[in-house]
Amino acid sequence: MSEALTVVVVDDHSIFRSGLRADLDDTVDVVGEAGDVESAIAAVIAHGPQVVLLDVHLPGGQGGGGAEVIRRAAPAAPRTRFLALSVSDSAEDVVGVIRAGARGYITKGSSGAEVSRAIATVAGGDAVFSPRLAGFVLDAFGAAAGEQAQTDEELDRLSAREREVMRLIARGYSYKEVAAELFISIKTVETHVSAVLRKLQLSSRHELTAWALERRLL
Amino acid sequence: MSSVPAAPRRAPLLRPRDCVVGGVSVGLARHLGWDVATVRWLFVATTLLGGAGVLFYAWLWPTVPLEEPVTDAGPQLASVRHRVPLRWVGVVACLVAALVLLLSWERTGGVASGLLFTLAVLLAAVGVFGPWAIRLWRELLAERTKRVREEERAEMAAHLHDSVLQTLALIQNRAGASSEVARIARAQERELREWLYAGAGVADSDLATDLKDYAASLELDHPVRFDVVAVGSSTERSSGELAAAAREAMLNAARHAGGDVSVYIEGSSTGVDLFIRDRGPGFDTSRVPEHRLGVRESIIGRMRRAGGSATVGRGAGGTGTEVHLHFDASRRDES
Repeated sequence: MSEALTVVVVDDHSIFRSGLRADLDDTVDVVGEAGDVESAIAAVIAHGPQVVLLDVHLPGGQGGGGAEVIRRAAPAAPRTRFLALSVSDSAEDVVGVIRAGARGYITKGSSGAEVSRAIATVAGGDAVFSPRLAGFVLDAFGAAAGEQAQTDEELDRLSAREREVMRLIARGYSYKEVAAELFISIKTVETHVSAVLRKLQLSSRHELTAWALERRLL
Repeated sequence: MSSVPAAPRRAPLLRPRDCVVGGVSVGLARHLGWDVATVRWLFVATTLLGGAGVLFYAWLWPTVPLEEPVTDAGPQLASVRHRVPLRWVGVVACLVAALVLLLSWERTGGVASGLLFTLAVLLAAVGVFGPWAIRLWRELLAERTKRVREEERAEMAAHLHDSVLQTLALIQNRAGASSEVARIARAQERELREWLYAGAGVADSDLATDLKDYAASLELDHPVRFDVVAVGSSTERSSGELAAAAREAMLNAARHAGGDVSVYIEGSSTGVDLFIRDRGPGFDTSRVPEHRLGVRESIIGRMRRAGGSATVGRGAGGTGTEVHLHFDASRRDES
């Protein structure tokens, strides 16, 4: 990576922001910080960073937290990608920001190296899926029960290949390992994951929201 | 009480809980050693003498204590059961009294009988609607209490989420994934989260919950971080052989590999699949010495005996170990 990626860190705990800042490696350049919804939107528009590290729970605004930041800032910064950072991995939180437009999510327990890697992935246009998010997707799209999409255009179900990829990610495989296991290229894995992310964002599948509301925790 | 009754002792004067009207006759008969019918007839006979029987009965009813409830007979017998529906008898009596007052209005008509009439109708109404109103009121009260408690809980959860959970995450982050401090912080975080979000209900111990708990306890003792992901609906019992084999595999991963370990449970209508994957130094089943029974017996043998299957192999890319346990749904009942 020749040039450091520009990043804005949004979290309402200054102590966490500074800690994270110190932990990120030098492939990442933190150009701004924000602590609530309003200042986050302002910072994103002012700096136009490549990636925004965004806490799911944020004070201010209309109470929409991270999802509100994405909805309001994204139109003004079309090149910026959002990576959700959450202390919780409850389905409600995660699916909320993903559907608002985030390209992935990681938990706050992740190490600085992991966060840096995730930032690079998101900046490259790919999606970041944790095992838990993959597990949620398998459940929400009924893949565990054997449902399968018939065409690529279908938004409410996963294709057989997407299901395989999600299962391996849920088992803790990295993209590279998934590629080796399925005898496909990493690029193809990333394409599948991005396709799943798109479905997650666009699907109107009833279970998706019902599931998230019903079971508050993954 | 006394094991050697010198003379036939008198039963204490107590009213039974399962009674016809007030239990007075039965209690009195037992106490005096008479026949119940005799006592009842005596009451009826003395009632004809200017109502003395009724008065005596009415006096005994509140003054004679009830029997101790039979505790093992269930809660429904702890209360008093009247075979005669006293409530409806009272209602009918009140209505009859009201009718009589109405019919004799012309003769007695006055303020006093007007008041009596109103009182009788009111009492009848209370008799009919009273229990229903009380139940409604109680339900309303319980509902409100529940809502208040839920609100308090949600508020507390939000607060703890914003403070303690963040701090615990930060501690893990700063202390390094496998340090002891991080491990303790992670265990605490997990515990707190469970308490915050699991709510008061769901005390069900399914496989996923059980393995999550087990992972939390392993994290306390070993430098390891488990990520347990459950998908689909699993009807697998936590006491089953699958769970036992999974625990053994997780313990192995914690002991010999450490670091990040993924546990993935997938339940479907056809069976249950369980993957435990670590990134340790790896493990070759064929090279395990004969006396090391851990893997051979506890995992592979156990699954085979229970009618399932287990494979232990290298993880993807040749790093670490992956244990795959499988159970067919059709065989699950036999184990």
